[in-house]
Amino acid sequence: MSVENATQVKPRRSTSRFFEKFYPYGSVLPALLIIILFTIFPVIYAIRVSVYQNILTKPNSHPFVGLKNFIDVITSYYFKTALVNTAIYTIAAVTGVIIFGLIVASLLNTKIRSVNALKIIILLPWAVPAVVAGLMWKWILNSDFGIFNGILYSLGLIKSYIPFLADPVLAKFSLVMAHIWKEGPLATIFILAGLQLIPNELYESAKIDGGGGLRLFRHITLPLLRPILLVVVVYETMTAILTFDLIYVMTGGGPGDSTALISWFAYAEIFKFLNLGNGVALSIIIALITLVLIILYMRALKTETTIY
Amino acid sequence: MKRILQVTMILVMVALPLVGCATPATQVATQVATQPPAAATQAPVATQVAMDFVVWSYGIETINDNIKNFQALNPDITITLKDYSWLDYHDTMVAAFAANNPPYLLYGSDHWLNEWAAAGWLAPLDKYCPNIAGYSKEVAAYALQGMTYNGAVYGVSYYADDLDFMYNDTLLKQGGFTAAPTTLDELYTQAKELKAKGVNEYPIIFAWSQKEGAFPEAWTSLVFAQTESGASLFDDLLNPIFNVEGSSAFQVMEWLRKIYVEGLLDPASLSTAEIDQVKSMQAGAHTFTIAPQYNMAELNKPASGDFAGQFKIALMPGVSHSNVGYVRFYAMTQKVVDAGPDYIAAACKFMDYFGGKTDGQYVVVKRWAVENGLGFAQLPLFDDPDIIAAFGQWGDVDMIKQQAILARAKEGMTPWYGSWDVFTRAEIHKGILGQQTSMETLNNMAGNWDELKATP
Amino acid sequence: MRIKQRARINSILTNLMVVILIIYIAGPFVWVISASFQGENELLKKPPSFIPKNPTTDNYRYVFTGQVPTSYEVKGQLRSRISQEARLIAPALKNSFIIAITVLAINLLFATPAAYAFARLRWKFRSGSYNFILASRLMPAMAIAIPYYMIIQSLRLMDSKLSLILVHSALTIPFSIWFLTMYITNIPRDLEEAGQVDGCNYFQVLKNIVVPLIIPGLVAASAFAFMTSYNEFLFARFLTTSIASQTGPVVLSSISGNPDASYSLISVCLTLGMIPPIILAISMRKWLTEGLSSTITFR
Repeated sequence: MSVENATQVKPRRSTSRFFEKFYPYGSVLPALLIIILFTIFPVIYAIRVSVYQNILTKPNSHPFVGLKNFIDVITSYYFKTALVNTAIYTIAAVTGVIIFGLIVASLLNTKIRSVNALKIIILLPWAVPAVVAGLMWKWILNSDFGIFNGILYSLGLIKSYIPFLADPVLAKFSLVMAHIWKEGPLATIFILAGLQLIPNELYESAKIDGGGGLRLFRHITLPLLRPILLVVVVYETMTAILTFDLIYVMTGGGPGDSTALISWFAYAEIFKFLNLGNGVALSIIIALITLVLIILYMRALKTETTIY
Repeated sequence: MKRILQVTMILVMVALPLVGCATPATQVATQVATQPPAAATQAPVATQVAMDFVVWSYGIETINDNIKNFQALNPDITITLKDYSWLDYHDTMVAAFAANNPPYLLYGSDHWLNEWAAAGWLAPLDKYCPNIAGYSKEVAAYALQGMTYNGAVYGVSYYADDLDFMYNDTLLKQGGFTAAPTTLDELYTQAKELKAKGVNEYPIIFAWSQKEGAFPEAWTSLVFAQTESGASLFDDLLNPIFNVEGSSAFQVMEWLRKIYVEGLLDPASLSTAEIDQVKSMQAGAHTFTIAPQYNMAELNKPASGDFAGQFKIALMPGVSHSNVGYVRFYAMTQKVVDAGPDYIAAACKFMDYFGGKTDGQYVVVKRWAVENGLGFAQLPLFDDPDIIAAFGQWGDVDMIKQQAILARAKEGMTPWYGSWDVFTRAEIHKGILGQQTSMETLNNMAGNWDELKATP
Repeated sequence: MRIKQRARINSILTNLMVVILIIYIAGPFVWVISASFQGENELLKKPPSFIPKNPTTDNYRYVFTGQVPTSYEVKGQLRSRISQEARLIAPALKNSFIIAITVLAINLLFATPAAYAFARLRWKFRSGSYNFILASRLMPAMAIAIPYYMIIQSLRLMDSKLSLILVHSALTIPFSIWFLTMYITNIPRDLEEAGQVDGCNYFQVLKNIVVPLIIPGLVAASAFAFMTSYNEFLFARFLTTSIASQTGPVVLSSISGNPDASYSLISVCLTLGMIPPIILAISMRKWLTEGLSSTITFR
């Protein structure tokens, strides 16, 4: 092992003390520098932009407006609807991802032969960019040339092509399906890790006591998976709220505003309404909402993570 | 942990704005309008000038060929072409302008001219290039209107078109009709009959996806056609006049809801974009549609589909048969002006060649018309024999001309039209889907307009 | 008897579920690959055929050599549906690869010592800086897209691969640090303590003892960093203006959203764009799943 390779150096006392004391700072510094440059400045800048009026078509007026942009955004025509739609989407997406993860992870945890193929392809959706996933699904669900409609039609299951992306309910549904497809694999891997931690003896003794499949799941698997499930839920919630790529390529927010999630409006404020102040204010609000949710989740997490 | 996390975040987000640092906030967006210098003379450009030219991705091979020809005539000017998808074009350009990184020359559209000119991103052409006044005289009224802001002309047009009502003549005859519908009621009756006879499942299709550029123009065309005379949407003071029962807009919304409910309008219209719409028509899936006129060339090209040659234009169904005309043009940004007289002179030469006359001929515009069937704003070209011959191959030149004469520019062209458009699309969708009544849709649209107008 | 029947039904249902899942997960990929071998007119039929009826390599030939497929020649110049954009996919993927590899290297170089410092050492700003690093990922990209644009522009790095390398590093380092910190925390300290007793300083312990132990974690972290950078779209779109630095996702999204490009060409680009991530996902899956598992199962 590597211990034998360690060189035995005995440096002078004072330099070694100095070195040891400043080593942590030195090792963290480069990473911190990059992050500061690309996080502090943008955040400062963002906050500054959000408290001034900054409308691109009115270039000569930049008055300080305090919280007006924030108020404008919260009282805008889209805020409530977008939040509601985002909430619905998030709940559906997170639930779907968790269920997907549980099912697939359980399957991967068995020794069934057909599962081997699954093992090979499971990470593929995670590996492609979100825009590519969105575009593939948009094409597949196309109501004129989509292969999905084509297959359903050839099998005689439908008489005419279904307008997946043109109906408010179906459009949401399609987005969620694409989202689950993209995010499911990661959740699966996490949950699989958790499943593999559960000792077999627990199952065996429960079976002796007469437990059936579903019973075992409810009383042994779920409780023991809880910490991992909570981590997955936190991560997936964040991802769902911040979803932008998928909406942008698949629906552009339509039809109507059924798939206009809150992050899409942050984009629209800046690039369609040309209102930089509002757009950044909205993004800050989204960040705060996400932060609050994460803190709430963390509270519910019994076993806390690492170093605090 | 939560405590520390919270404190850190709060510190970061609260303490820092108190620091009154001079940030690049003032750099964002824009160039304040400077005093324009005297119009450049026609002296040849002395130094080597290199400019970039940004377009949307249509006909790239042709554009590159045009550039090659231009550079041959002007060896001291180099043009580099960049193209972006049409659906992303506006947003991509906004990002470039907002961060002070614009191109020199680019395509513009009447749809967002007001926005970009108000923001100071584009430079008025007629102030810098002497030939523009001459070109403007020969251009159709709606096109000139679409290139003008605050009395200044911002472009020379290479393409202008209107939204036409198109139909598949073969399918129409299969339905037992000999003439195209002339009113919305007739269109409804014919579509119903076609559906009943099993000719089409959805006789009508529109390309009204959230991202599709021609959506507002098609809807507005329907509204214009129902208006006997005068303004349809806004009065002289730019106040909404459409949210009244019985207005043209109201009639159109009611009609749209009717054809949606009765299965005459393809529900997928709400997510269809132009190319898919054209392909669908070519495949004979629908009989009626509204699309920019230049698609006729594609629809009627031989061997393009089973119904090639069967597609015809009819006047927009309604009372006045008026429709929307739009214009696309070459524009130059403030960057050209800031770069000095050499660049301005080069840009004017560019405008002359690409949108104006060379040796008395609108070379580039004519090429687009003859080779690709694109419409044009320059009225003299309607009498050009080459164009008549080319257009005659796939369309009825008289009908095209007749409809073009009735074309009007969109109403409400203001710096906030783009914002209103985003809101309006969603509202029209909701009205068609029945999530709200037509009056509610129109009232919402009016309310949003008033809000945007009132913002100082 | 009944138990056997039940077991068999269970087995059939399970296998059916597996088949459905395989179709759901891999179906889109297979379709796109199949479509890339079909001419456009075939793809626009209703219904399109899953298996190409007249397979052709014309589309690939166009993307790599610029030779226009014969079917398009028939259409002529009108709406030829050929965009030169399709030919940009190869250089774009090259850019993606270069940027992602560099980001991977930067992550390994900077995140590993940082993670070790967070996991093992006690020092003054440990908690604060750890939280700061993690919190830096909370801001939605949209809010900081324009500021990033300004920074990159003032550094005169617009339209350069370096700008994306910097931005992507800032995006990926926090996750790598978090990941490796957890990973290192889960390893028993005995070997390191032994090393320190023998007189190694922190750096030597890190280099000679810890690193060899955490190789699965390092591989997983590098793979994540590579993937994130390779797949990143938002900043790549805003910070690049020409093919000198445009990456795969930018070209893919642009051409797929381009109404003037045919579906055949789009699917060729999608297929080519998929290849590196697929190779990575399949060949690295053992490392990835192992690395993820060990990290997530703390305590």
